[in-house]
Amino acid sequence: MEQIGKQVRLPFRRAFQIALSGIRIRFGRSVVTVSGVVLGIAFLMSNLTGQLIKKSIAEERDQRNTVNLMLSLIKAEIGEVAGRQIAVSTFGQLSPVEQLLLTQLKATAIVRDGPEAGLRIVLGDQPQVPVTLASLTAGMSQSVVIDSLATRAYAAGDTAAPVRRELFFGKESEDQLAKEAQLAQTEKFRNWWIVTISLLVTVFGVANALLMSVTERFREIGTMKCLGALSSFIRRLFLIESSLIGLAGSIVGVIVGALLPLLAYGFAYRFALVFGTLSYGWLLVYAVAAAVTGTLLAVLAAIYPAWFASRMVPASALRSTV
Amino acid sequence: MNPLSTRLDELLATAGDSAKGSHVIRAVDVKKIYKMGDSETHALRGVTLDVRRGEYMSIMGPSGSGKSTFFNMIGGLDKPTAGKVYIDQVDIAQLDPYELAWLRCRKVGYIFQMFNLIQVMSCIENVMLPMSFAGKDSEEARDRALEILEMVGLKERALHKPAEMSGGQQQRVAIARALANSPDILLADEPTGNLDLKTGEEIIELFRKLRDDLGVTIITATHDLKMLKASDRIVWIDDGRLARICTPAEANIQVEDVH
Ligand SMILES: Nc1ncnc2c1ncn2[C@@H]1O[C@H](COP(=O)(O)OP(=O)(O)OP(=O)(O)O)[C@@H](O)[C@H]1O
Ligand SMILES: [Mg+2]
Repeated sequence: MEQIGKQVRLPFRRAFQIALSGIRIRFGRSVVTVSGVVLGIAFLMSNLTGQLIKKSIAEERDQRNTVNLMLSLIKAEIGEVAGRQIAVSTFGQLSPVEQLLLTQLKATAIVRDGPEAGLRIVLGDQPQVPVTLASLTAGMSQSVVIDSLATRAYAAGDTAAPVRRELFFGKESEDQLAKEAQLAQTEKFRNWWIVTISLLVTVFGVANALLMSVTERFREIGTMKCLGALSSFIRRLFLIESSLIGLAGSIVGVIVGALLPLLAYGFAYRFALVFGTLSYGWLLVYAVAAAVTGTLLAVLAAIYPAWFASRMVPASALRSTV
Repeated sequence: MNPLSTRLDELLATAGDSAKGSHVIRAVDVKKIYKMGDSETHALRGVTLDVRRGEYMSIMGPSGSGKSTFFNMIGGLDKPTAGKVYIDQVDIAQLDPYELAWLRCRKVGYIFQMFNLIQVMSCIENVMLPMSFAGKDSEEARDRALEILEMVGLKERALHKPAEMSGGQQQRVAIARALANSPDILLADEPTGNLDLKTGEEIIELFRKLRDDLGVTIITATHDLKMLKASDRIVWIDDGRLARICTPAEANIQVEDVH
């Protein structure tokens, strides 16, 4: 009796197993219920992923624009950059923009110290540097330093050779920023509104499917009650079933919902751009959040059907011939 | 041990000085009316019946006379429209849902007319189900389930699903399930309806043993002559009324008349 030995179960595991085999036996109906969850969660996930991609692409574009601004400032100082020698000093960590600038410079100009260098660029986030401004341009033909950090303090020292210090950035227009924030806010609100509606539809769809599966199972539920099942056991059965359905639907929904916008944006822009700039950490966070939401909503949808099933009079359930 | 059983004992203690112990079930003027829209079906029109402890009682009656309805009432599966049902001197209308579940689980074993096996579970899981509701450790439940299944001759079929079994085999699984928690009362609605002569006799023998060795009170609805003969009393129900009560000896002529 080896096989029977494996059937040893705790009551919760029993409820779990009954729920699972119920799903398997009524596979067709379960698939329909699951696909309700899939649709809702795929919609939620595609919305989140779409926003993430848009944000990443916009950030990347912003960086590129900033670097172009920087390059034009350099150009204003020394003329055409290509083939020219430029000295660069870095203090502390480089921001992504600075890294991008450095890469671009290295690609066209010659980044090297020396008397031929017409300009020194200072990059990095270190607020205080142990060198004097003058020492940075010593021996160079032009005493011009372009700094990425307006607040950077240099060591005090000989002021004999006057050095001109330019900055990469002025201040962005505050009006512009506020306007952009407002626009983003409206878009966000509209998105969430649509997502909320679609999730509500999911909840009602799942609740409806579960209610039908309760009526299908009148007899089974009634029999269990006749055999001494507490109402709480019946409720637990349906809550387990719905959470399994919710979990399965959420996982599929998350995958579909993440892939669709990735492909769509990939075709619209470039796949390298979309996948290269995407923040995978956030994608994972969104995926987990969407899956948890889907499962919780499915359980929420099961509350009424579970209560309905658990409240049945045992004898009446026995007679139903479904 | 079980707080519910102590509660039942309490109720029992306060139930008054009525001859404690002699009657395991009392039905007093039980009426049941099913309302379906405008029409009413009087399934039971006032049945008063005492069932003695350790008695083997058969209930006879034409189809639709209210036998199954009566079983539902005295088994605590449904509430009567009027009248009272006492099990062990406790008015079951006073029990809360937990106590009712306890009663259905431990006190009464049901064999339903339509078997009502759970289709998605194997035979042994069906038999183990009432035991897991009773909180029995599953190892123990499995051993006991196998033991009972062996008793009804279905040990080798333990892992089959009900759909894979014949009517008679399903009926025996239903019997095994009813015995799972060693109930004091066994309510059997046509328990031998689908069984061949030999298996039917074995079941009758099993019931007799349960009564004699364990003092189980058995109530069956049946048309099976052999079952009637094995019982202590025969009750006739006709159109929701109790028509006649007699012993098999008194009924013998009647039975032979019918056939
Ligand atoms: N849930 C119900 N709803 C409506 N009417 C019902 C219900 N249960 C039983 N009845 C009616 O009550 C009457 C008695 O039914 P019951 O099932 O008790 O008969 P029975 O004696 O068990 O018959 P049989 O020998 O065919 O099993 C029948 O007329 C039946 O139609
Ligand atoms: Mg009947």
